[in-house]
Amino acid sequence: MVKNITIFTTNTCGYCQMVKKYLVAKGVNYEEVNLDEHPHRQAEALELSGAMTVPVTVVTKQDESKEVIVGYNLARLAPAVS
Amino acid sequence: MKQSKASSLHDVIIVGGGPAALTAAIYTTREDIDTLIIERGVVGGLAAVTDVIDNYPGFPDGISGLVLAENLRKQAERFGAKIELGEVLSIHNEGKHKRLETTSGTMHARAILIATGSDYKKVGVPGEQEYFARGVHYCATCDGAFYRDKRLVVVGGGNSAVQETIFLTRYASHIDLLVRSTIKASDVLQDELQPFIKKGKVTVHVGTTTDEIVGKDQFVVKVIGTHTKTGKRHEFAVDGVFIFVGLKPNTQFLKGSSIKLDKIGFIKTDSSLQTAMTGVFAAGDVRSGATMQIASAVGEGATAALKIREYLEGHTHPLQN
Repeated sequence: MVKNITIFTTNTCGYCQMVKKYLVAKGVNYEEVNLDEHPHRQAEALELSGAMTVPVTVVTKQDESKEVIVGYNLARLAPAVS
Repeated sequence: MKQSKASSLHDVIIVGGGPAALTAAIYTTREDIDTLIIERGVVGGLAAVTDVIDNYPGFPDGISGLVLAENLRKQAERFGAKIELGEVLSIHNEGKHKRLETTSGTMHARAILIATGSDYKKVGVPGEQEYFARGVHYCATCDGAFYRDKRLVVVGGGNSAVQETIFLTRYASHIDLLVRSTIKASDVLQDELQPFIKKGKVTVHVGTTTDEIVGKDQFVVKVIGTHTKTGKRHEFAVDGVFIFVGLKPNTQFLKGSSIKLDKIGFIKTDSSLQTAMTGVFAAGDVRSGATMQIASAVGEGATAALKIREYLEGHTHPLQN
């Protein structure tokens, strides 16, 4: 079961919009961290994903385990949030 | 024309969701032709990840690629186009109907439009694959924010390379633009680049190849290039590399089908944008001969939709008889 979801995004990232739209369509709540507005949190996104890119979607489960999905990857995103 | 007997049978299935696809869907759905778009990535295609589009008619101040893509999507959906996220794996000719094998299962259509567009090409040098997303990038609007006050190399000399270099100046402290031959970007873009060159924010290295991307501790630290005339080797100490060296067509899923491709992999069509498989059409950046412009893709999308309507009605335009 999903406890919460955090998405790291930027203002200009088209793939970020797609991830957000997918979650909205599925009725899933999420917290957004916009790295243009909060550049100090870039290091956090990088540490979680190992990549200098967005979107980074962090799905935290009830047991506190985390699944980190880099980019717009429906094959991983869909089962992770279901 | 909505005659579907099964939920998986559509009048038209459009493969891809960029400007050509969305425009075709606007036209077909306004004609009450049952239309499904299948997109594997971003609705809006490469246009959606382009910062500003300055050469699309009707927007004197330019328009954000994301906004244009969103507007096209809304317009197509307003007339009834359905958009499904998924990937088409193969297309098969079964006479009157075409069969599509997709990640969501088997689907059928009376006609198909392939508008899968193109993706950015790789340079093919050591380090490029190894440091992907850890210093090597192909999407400035996605990844540029990670390079505040950092040094960058941009590879390429076309419109995309210059446009994205200008975009990246909002983050980077300095950009070396490596151009293998000469700059082929439009004069307008080159003029827009000039102030950044004068301020010392961008340095253009014409006639410079990109030979290797070197990393340390898992991240890029330098790019090695060679001046083509002098043969002199150059090292650029940088934090990241953005690559825009042209486009490759998204046609891998057509390998082995009867749809003919040119030697690069773009889809061959006749003057009505129909491929070698009857009832299957192609439009936009994926088509052999495409000009790789959003305005052209939109025009081809409209043309393809009208030709598909004629095909579905079982006749050709009177002017072509």
